Amino acid sequence: MKRRNIRPTHSSQNQVQAAMGSGLNMPRRAALKVGGMGLLGLNLPKWLQSEEIKKKQEKAVASIAPKAKSVIFLFQWGGPSHIDMFDRKPDAPEDIRGPLSSISSALPGVPVCEGLERTARILDKVTLIRSMTHTMKNHNSAAYYALSGHNPPVDDIRLRDTLELFPAYGSVVDALSSSRPDMPTSISYPYVIRDGSVAPGQKASFLGKQHDPFLFTSDPNRPGFSLPELSLPEGLSYERLQSRREIQKLLDRQSHLLEASEVAQGMDAFYDRALAMLQSDRLRNAFRLEEESETLRDAYGRTTYGQSLLLSRRLVEAGAKFVTVYFSSSIGGQSTTSGGWDTHGFNNTKMYPIIKDYHLPITDQTLPTFLEDMDSRGLLDETLVVWMGEFGRTPRINGNASRDHWPQCYTTLLAGGGVKRGYVYGASDDKGMYPIENPVRPDDLAATMFHLLGIPHDSMVNGVGNRPLKIAEGEPILDLLA
Amino acid sequence: MLSIVTQSINKAVRLRLKPRELWLLFLVSICFNGNLSSAHAAEAISFQNQVMPILAKAGCNLGTCHGGARGKGGFKLSLRGESPELDFLALTQEFGGRRINRTLPERSLILLKATATVAHEGSQRFNKVSEEFEALSQWILEGADSDLDSAPQPVALDIKPAAALLTQPANSGQLQAWVSFDDGSTRDLTRWTVFEPTVAGTVEVDPEGNFEILKPGFHSVIARFLNLQRPVEVSLAPKKQDFRWSGPDPQNELDEWIFAKQRQLNVRPSEICSDSEFIRRASLDLLGRLPTPKETEAFLGSADSHKRSQWITSAMERPELASFWALKWSDLLRNEEKTLDRKGSQSFHRWIQKSIADNRPLNEFVQEILAASGSSYQNPAANFYRAVRDPIERAESTAQLFLGKRLKCAQCHNHPFDRWTQDDYYGWAGWFTQVDYKVLENRRKDSNDQHEFVGNQVVWMKGQGGIRDPRDGSHAKPALLGASSQQMNQSEDRQLEQLAKWVTSKENPWFAKAQANRVWYHLMGKGLVDPIDDLRPTNPPTHPEVLNFLTHKLLDSDFNLRALIQTIMESATYQLSSVPNEDNLEEFGLYARRHANRMEAEVLLDGFQQVLGTSLNFAGYPNGLRATQIPGAKAFAPRYRKDTAADQFLEFFGKPPRLLSCECERTDETTLSQAFQLMSGDALNQLIRDPKNRLQKWVEYENSNAVIQELYQRAFARAATEGELQTLEPLLSSAWDVVDKNMRRQVLEDVVWATLNSKEFLTNH
Repeated sequence: MKRRNIRPTHSSQNQVQAAMGSGLNMPRRAALKVGGMGLLGLNLPKWLQSEEIKKKQEKAVASIAPKAKSVIFLFQWGGPSHIDMFDRKPDAPEDIRGPLSSISSALPGVPVCEGLERTARILDKVTLIRSMTHTMKNHNSAAYYALSGHNPPVDDIRLRDTLELFPAYGSVVDALSSSRPDMPTSISYPYVIRDGSVAPGQKASFLGKQHDPFLFTSDPNRPGFSLPELSLPEGLSYERLQSRREIQKLLDRQSHLLEASEVAQGMDAFYDRALAMLQSDRLRNAFRLEEESETLRDAYGRTTYGQSLLLSRRLVEAGAKFVTVYFSSSIGGQSTTSGGWDTHGFNNTKMYPIIKDYHLPITDQTLPTFLEDMDSRGLLDETLVVWMGEFGRTPRINGNASRDHWPQCYTTLLAGGGVKRGYVYGASDDKGMYPIENPVRPDDLAATMFHLLGIPHDSMVNGVGNRPLKIAEGEPILDLLA
Repeated sequence: MLSIVTQSINKAVRLRLKPRELWLLFLVSICFNGNLSSAHAAEAISFQNQVMPILAKAGCNLGTCHGGARGKGGFKLSLRGESPELDFLALTQEFGGRRINRTLPERSLILLKATATVAHEGSQRFNKVSEEFEALSQWILEGADSDLDSAPQPVALDIKPAAALLTQPANSGQLQAWVSFDDGSTRDLTRWTVFEPTVAGTVEVDPEGNFEILKPGFHSVIARFLNLQRPVEVSLAPKKQDFRWSGPDPQNELDEWIFAKQRQLNVRPSEICSDSEFIRRASLDLLGRLPTPKETEAFLGSADSHKRSQWITSAMERPELASFWALKWSDLLRNEEKTLDRKGSQSFHRWIQKSIADNRPLNEFVQEILAASGSSYQNPAANFYRAVRDPIERAESTAQLFLGKRLKCAQCHNHPFDRWTQDDYYGWAGWFTQVDYKVLENRRKDSNDQHEFVGNQVVWMKGQGGIRDPRDGSHAKPALLGASSQQMNQSEDRQLEQLAKWVTSKENPWFAKAQANRVWYHLMGKGLVDPIDDLRPTNPPTHPEVLNFLTHKLLDSDFNLRALIQTIMESATYQLSSVPNEDNLEEFGLYARRHANRMEAEVLLDGFQQVLGTSLNFAGYPNGLRATQIPGAKAFAPRYRKDTAADQFLEFFGKPPRLLSCECERTDETTLSQAFQLMSGDALNQLIRDPKNRLQKWVEYENSNAVIQELYQRAFARAATEGELQTLEPLLSSAWDVVDKNMRRQVLEDVVWATLNSKEFLTNH
C-alpha cells in the first residue's frame, strides 16, 4: 500500500492534544515526533513499516528451500514392535528382549533382529528415531496421530472421522503446494485402513474434498493391474468418452453458464483434468508396472506390499508429491498370510511365528530393495521415505508370548529427502519403555516432514468455522537434516 | 534551560547515545521544550490503555503469534489481550522478569525483540524511533506498574465515519476511532486501534486509519480497541458513465432494499427469469426434484399472471416439500443411523417430515426438540439429545443451530470476535448437564464401538444443572446467553422447558433472525449473514434491512415457515435470471442475478434417475427410494458390507455424515473425483446403461427430434432451441438411419450423457 501521509494526520494531532494533560496520555515522543518530523526527517519509521509489510508479503510467498521433492509414507498398520526390530535390547531380561537374536548392521553399534539380514545391510542409508512417543493406545486414534501429526481429542477405539479432525498429510501438501494438471499431488493405496471403523487421517477433512488424496484400492500385484479410474467401464472407450465430452462442450457453449458462473467454470476445468489424466501418458505409464524388469519386480517381492512400493517409486518419478502406502487394510496380527502388525497373541496365535513367517520376511525383501533401487536412481536424495506404525509394542512380553500396544516409546525409520544417512536420533531406556533422550512426538515428525518439503511448518489453514489452525503443532528436528 | 540539559544528559545515558546523537537530542529538546515539559507533567504511561493497545496494534497477541494457545518462543500473551492481568505477569514477572530491564529500559527483551534488534521470528514490529518504542520504554522506566485497578475503562468505540461509500476513481479515506471512557472522557485513539478487513484483500488500512479500497463492492473493516469492536462498512462503487439504474418492479419490501443497494453500487439486476427457468429452479429449491413434463407443460401453458405465486402455494402442500426440507433438518439434527439406530433414525425422520407437512410453527418445532425427554423410540424429538450426547456439544449445537451463535471459541478463551466469555460458555453449557440418558438396551454389533447404539434409550432430566468449569474446578451455574441467571426460575424442575421457551421466544434476539437467514440461504444459495450460523456484530449481514424484514415476517406470522418461503420466492430478487447483463457479471454480492450452484448430492442423483426413468439402490433401503427420501446419513453397514454405487456417489458429491451440527458439513464444492464419478464412475454409467431405462423407449421413436425434445423437457423444463437441435440432430439422425438399434442406442447414450453433464443440468440456476 502506498504511504501517502508523510505529514502528520489529523488523528495523530488529535491524539497528542488528547494526550496532553489527561489521565490517558499517549507516548511522549508522539509530541516530539509530530513536531520534529519534518525537521529531522524522522519519517523513517513509516518507511520502515512499509518495507516491513513488503518483506512480510514476500516471506508469505517464498517458502523455505525444499530438501525433499516428495514423500513416500509407508504406514505399518497395527504397530510393529520396536524392540524386536530396530531398538534391540540384547542385555535386557528375556521377557523384554524377546526370543529373536540380534545381528549387526551396516551401522556400527546398531543391531537389528534376525530375519532382517538384508535390511541390516542398508541401515547406513537411514535414520532411526528411537524416541517416538505419544499416549494413544487405540489403533484408530494412534493411526490418526501418525497420519495427520495431530494429537486426537480422545483415545477412542472407534475414533470417528469428522470435519473437526485434521487432514491427512497428503491433503495438506496438496492444499499448500502447486500441482501438475495431469498428475495427482497426493496418492494413497492400496487400501482404506480400518479397525472396526475407518481410521481418521486418510482424507482431506476440513480442507475440502478437492484435496482428498487420490485413492485406489486395486492390488498392484494382480496381473493386469491398472488404475480403476483410468480404466473405463465396459463398453466405454476413451474415444467415446472424448466424443461425449465434445458433445457436452457443444451444449455448454449454447448456455450462458460457462461464461457467467464460477461454479460451472470450475466443474468444466475438472472434466478437462480428469480427461487429461485418463489420457495422460505420465500417469498411465506410472501404473505400467510391467515395464519394469521381471528381476526387479521379483526383487521387490510379488506381494501387494512389494509391488506397491515399486509403484510408489514410479509415481514419485512421474511427479506425485505425497504417496502413502498402507501395509495392510486391517490391524491383523493373527495370520501369516495377510494383515497388519497387531500381534497380541489372541486366539492362540503367537506373535513370533507370525512375524517370523510373514512380517519380517516381507519387510526384509521389500524395504531394502526399495531403498537401494531409489538410491541407485538418485531418487533417494530428493525423496523422503518414512516407515512407521501408529505405535510400538509392549517391552514386556505378555502371557500369550506376544506384545501389546505401546505408544510411549517406539521407532520410526526415515531415509533420504535431506535426512542424515546412518544416524540414530533419540534413545529409549534399557527396557525400551520410555525415551531417555530427545523425545519426538508425531507433531515434531510432521513439522520435520513439512519443513523438508519446503512448506513452513507453522503455515496456517482454516478449520471449521474459519478457525485458523497450524498444519503442525511441533517443531522441525533440525538435527535429523543431513 | 539547565533542566533541559540535565534531562537530555539523563536520557542520553539511558539510551547510550553517541555524542552526535546527543547533540541532536539536545537540539530537539530545546526546540520543543514546551512539549517535553508538558509531557513530563502528565501522568504515567497506562498499562491498560497504552501498553495493551500497543501490543494489540503491533499484532503481538494474535493467535498466530504470542496469543496462540502455547504462545511463541516461550512467551505467551492472552489471545487478543483478553486477560490483561496475565499479560502483565507474563511481561513483568515470568522468568524472573527477564523480559523487562528497569535499569536500561531500552535493553528490555520485549523491545529488543519487537524492534528485531535481536533475532525475532515475528520480524520487526516497530522501530526504535516510534511512539510504540517510546511509550513502552517509558512505561518500564516508570517502574512497569499495572494500573488495571485504577485506569479509566473504555466503554464505547465510535468510528467516524460510521460507513463510507466511495465511487471510483476515489477509493481512499480515513477512519477515526473515538473511545469513550467511564470517567466521561472521549479520545481519538485511531493510532492505537486495530483495523482489520473482514475479508482479506478487500480493503487495506494503515496504522493511522487511512484506508484504500482495493476492489468495488460492499466490504467491512473491524475496528478494535482493547475489548471493544465495531464493524465499519467501506464500499466502493464502480464508475459508470451516465449510469441509470433500471430493473424489474419490486414485488415486496425485500426487493426495495435489495434494489436500493444495487443503485448505490451502480449495478443493474438481470431480467426476471423465464417460466422454464422458474419452474425448474423453484422445483429444485422447494421440492428437491425436477418438474415432470406434465407439470412443466401445465405451467408453461397457463396464461394466468399469478401463476408463479399459485405454483408456490400449491407446491407447499406436496409431500416432496416435506421430505426435502426434512433432509435439510436431518442434516442439522444429526439424524444418523449409528447413534440413533435404524428405527430411531426412521422415526426421527418421520417426525421431522410430519412437522413440516403439518407446517408446524418453527418455534414449536424447536421447542419440542429442546425440551424433549422420554424414550427415543416413542418420542422421536428426543433423538436430538440421543444424537448429541455430550453436554458441551449440546450447548454448542443448540446455540449454533437455533441461535446462529458459534460458541466454540469461548471454550478455551474468550470469543475473539464476539462478546462471549468463558463464563458465558460454561454457564450456557450448564443447562445441558441436566439432560441424561439411560441406555435400556444396546444390541450393537461392535462391542468396541462406543458410538454405536442399537436399542431403546430414555432421555431424562436429572434435574441439577451446572458444569465444572475446567479453569478453576468451580461449579458453573446455568446461565442464559447474554442474560443473567436470575432471569430463570432456578427452583422449578422443568428447566429445559424454560430454556426451550427462552430460545424460541419472540423476544429472543437471535432465534428468528437465525432461522430467517437459514431459509434465505436455502433459497438464495448464500446467507445474508455468511456463514449462516455465525451471527455476531463483527460479521454483519450484507443487507441488514432485508434480514430485519424477513425476521419480522417470521415473527409476525408466528413462525410460519411457508409464509417466509412464499415471501422470498415471490420477490423479484428470487426470480431474477442467472443470465448476466453488462453491469452484473461481477455483481459484488448484491443479488443482482441468480447464482448457479451445483445441485446437492441427492438432488443430482434423483435428477439423473428422473430423466432416465430408472433407479439405483442404496444399501439397506428398499428399491425405488429417492435419494432425497433417505432418512439417515447412510445405512450403518457392518464392516464387510460394501457401499453401493449410489452410496458412493452421494459421498463424493457431499452428502454429510451428520457428525457435526453444522451446515458446513454438506458441501457443494466441485472436485476431480466428481468428474471421474460422472465420466467413468459406476452410478451414472449404470443408470445410462440400464436396459430398462427410458432410452429403450426412445430408440423406438420414429423421429430423433422427438427424442431431443423430450430429453430437453425432462432435463431443462424447456424445448430445445434451434441451435441445440442443429447440434444434436445430425448426430442422432445419422444413428437413426442405421437399422441396428444397438448402434442407435450407443449414440443416444452419448447424447444423454452430454446433456446430463451439461452445466445447465448440473447446476440449479
